[in-house]
Amino acid sequence: MNVSSAETWLHKINPSLKLFVLIVLCMVALFIKDLNYMINVTMGVLLLFLCFSGHPLNRILLLSIPFCFIFLSTSSAMILFGQGETLWFKWGLISITEESFMRGLLVGFRALLFAVLGLTFSLTTRPVNLFYSLMQQVKLKPKYAYSFMAALRLIPIMLEEFQTIRNAMRVRGVERKKGIRSLYFKMKAYSIPLLSGSIRRAHRIAVAMEAKRFSDTRNRTYYYEFGFSKNDHGFILYFVILLLAGLYLSVQFPYLSI
Amino acid sequence: MERIAFVEKLRLKFPGDESLIFKDLSVSFDKGEKVLLLGPSGCGKSTLLQVLSGLIPHSIEVPMKAKELESPSSWGYVFQDPDSQFCMPFADEEIAFVLENLSVPKQQMNERIHNHIRQVGLHLDDIHTSIDTLSGGMKQRLAIASVLALEPEVIFLDEPTAMLDPVGTKEIWDVLKEIGKDKTVIIVEHKIDHVLEFIERIVLFNDNGQIIADGPKDIILSLYKNKMKEHGIWFPGVWDEYIHDHAPIREQREFNDGGPIMQMQGFRGFRKKEEKIMVEELQIHSGEWIVIRGENGAGKSTLLHALMQFIKTNGYYELMGTSIKKVKNLTDNMTFVFQNPEFQFVANSVYEEIAYSLRIDKKPPQEIEERVHALLEVFHLTAHRDKHPFQLSMGQKRRLSVAASIVKEKKIILLDEPTFGQDSKNTFALLEWFEEYRKRGITVIMVTHDDHISKNFATRIWTVKDGKVISDEKISKQLAFLETEVLSL
Repeated sequence: MNVSSAETWLHKINPSLKLFVLIVLCMVALFIKDLNYMINVTMGVLLLFLCFSGHPLNRILLLSIPFCFIFLSTSSAMILFGQGETLWFKWGLISITEESFMRGLLVGFRALLFAVLGLTFSLTTRPVNLFYSLMQQVKLKPKYAYSFMAALRLIPIMLEEFQTIRNAMRVRGVERKKGIRSLYFKMKAYSIPLLSGSIRRAHRIAVAMEAKRFSDTRNRTYYYEFGFSKNDHGFILYFVILLLAGLYLSVQFPYLSI
Repeated sequence: MERIAFVEKLRLKFPGDESLIFKDLSVSFDKGEKVLLLGPSGCGKSTLLQVLSGLIPHSIEVPMKAKELESPSSWGYVFQDPDSQFCMPFADEEIAFVLENLSVPKQQMNERIHNHIRQVGLHLDDIHTSIDTLSGGMKQRLAIASVLALEPEVIFLDEPTAMLDPVGTKEIWDVLKEIGKDKTVIIVEHKIDHVLEFIERIVLFNDNGQIIADGPKDIILSLYKNKMKEHGIWFPGVWDEYIHDHAPIREQREFNDGGPIMQMQGFRGFRKKEEKIMVEELQIHSGEWIVIRGENGAGKSTLLHALMQFIKTNGYYELMGTSIKKVKNLTDNMTFVFQNPEFQFVANSVYEEIAYSLRIDKKPPQEIEERVHALLEVFHLTAHRDKHPFQLSMGQKRRLSVAASIVKEKKIILLDEPTFGQDSKNTFALLEWFEEYRKRGITVIMVTHDDHISKNFATRIWTVKDGKVISDEKISKQLAFLETEVLSL
């Protein structure tokens, strides 16, 4: 799969800082109880996601489909079955009240916000850059950082092996077995070679890394060096303004009266 | 001469094994020497490399004891498997990883990465190239480049070309000869054609991890030829000797009864909606041995996958007179042996593994017992019948995967590089079994890089190039053997 993209200012932000800011924003979102404010903040983040991720629009829209689903499913559960005083609509178990409607939308927007924040982060940050930055800014031990990076390399290899095992099982006639017991059997037939392969491969990579003189000392140099730049200031400023302006607008020009 | 690495009275045992792998082994290496360690598979050659480099016991915890042991102060190690020696996703990052480990300042990194990549002849448009897009040979070159970044005095090579085709193998050895000139190089390798010109000394091991000979290569090669043959080592000329001993027995029989068992016309195979293989027109009869040849990435394996319907295909394809779309259980007539035998194992013991397909068909126990027993005998697995398939050696695993695939007497057997990484004994044994089946009218279709197989066993050779079968030549076996006979006279 080709997931290359254009570089935007979001890519140039220090990855550790980006991670930190986005986590803080998620926390803040937990405490936002006002629907208007929530909508404003979500719009601000959506703008970032839609315009500055550097990925082509069709890919962005494709990735948005599951998030629309998250929004609809989380909010609808709350809207349809929540409790409240002002009844709008009732039919059997379903009862929509004004309070439940508002709360449903709030929860839906919150879920949407989390999803968009996470996606924006992962679309604009290479894992390798994140770990390099974590080693430099957060003093993460190289041992952990490089193990994660090595593990990421294993994923596509495992997917390929899975496909091969599936073909092999077809040849052996495993696919023709039916019933619950065969399900257990298949699980075993797939997972054991897959796991044994990965464990062996992980071990080999670990030995190869040590053969390349990898050790857990802190005085290593870095191929990618990360510092802070104007982009980082801009990034923080963007969210500060978003939170403040969002709050102001939600008080002055509310979409919905609660 | 200055000693650069040595070990005296080494004793080593793998946990769980009953006997020591080395018992009081002593060997030493001088500065600048190029040495080849030769021996049957499983005799501990790679283990010795790991001990000499210090990977055992520092990285791999194995109980060991030695009276004296000296590892070189700077060394590099090239491993077998191109896929499991990198920890970073991009070529430049992998070499940078080594430089970081050595605390090389960032300012010097770029230049050194370019240098090392140039030294190994890895022609990349951009050094920031994803390792996944490189071929096996290019990956091994990158591995050598990252070893060079260590600026080692000693280079350990642990079968660096075991997973490569002949072209890749030659390229790697050309690079290694160039960069190894002024270094000490200690090599473990089974395919020794290209290595021999490079080395001056051979250390020969037996099954028990003892050194049976150690000296200049010419002397060892001439004096210990029989020992090597016995142990299945690929010494130069092993094929000529085999043919010399076995040629007259073979005869060619035609199976033209009942027309072709497989027919294709305008047959195409697709991967991710892209056409990857095209066959204009081919017919296959029973009792044929077809070798599919071609460069890496030409589409040889894809052709097998298309025949096996692992991938989407279109065009005309008929099996035993039935159009492929109407064939319900393709695997009843056709079987496939994968390169990695482990993927095919489904049962908990060697016996059950072979019996598996028969049990699915609910054959009577008496018949199962008989057939499995016969196959265990033929494939020399009787002694291991109760072992778990994963406990077998590589050669045994391969034999088991073949046995399990053919237990139901399939009409057609497809094989993807079945002799890859096998020693000469196993290779000849496998080839003889296939020949035995072929004589009984079974069709063998195999992808192989080994020209000796196409020359001496195939009845027909297909050449694949750029996703197309471009040639189909039938060979009269008698003639091929006559030619070799004449040549060796």
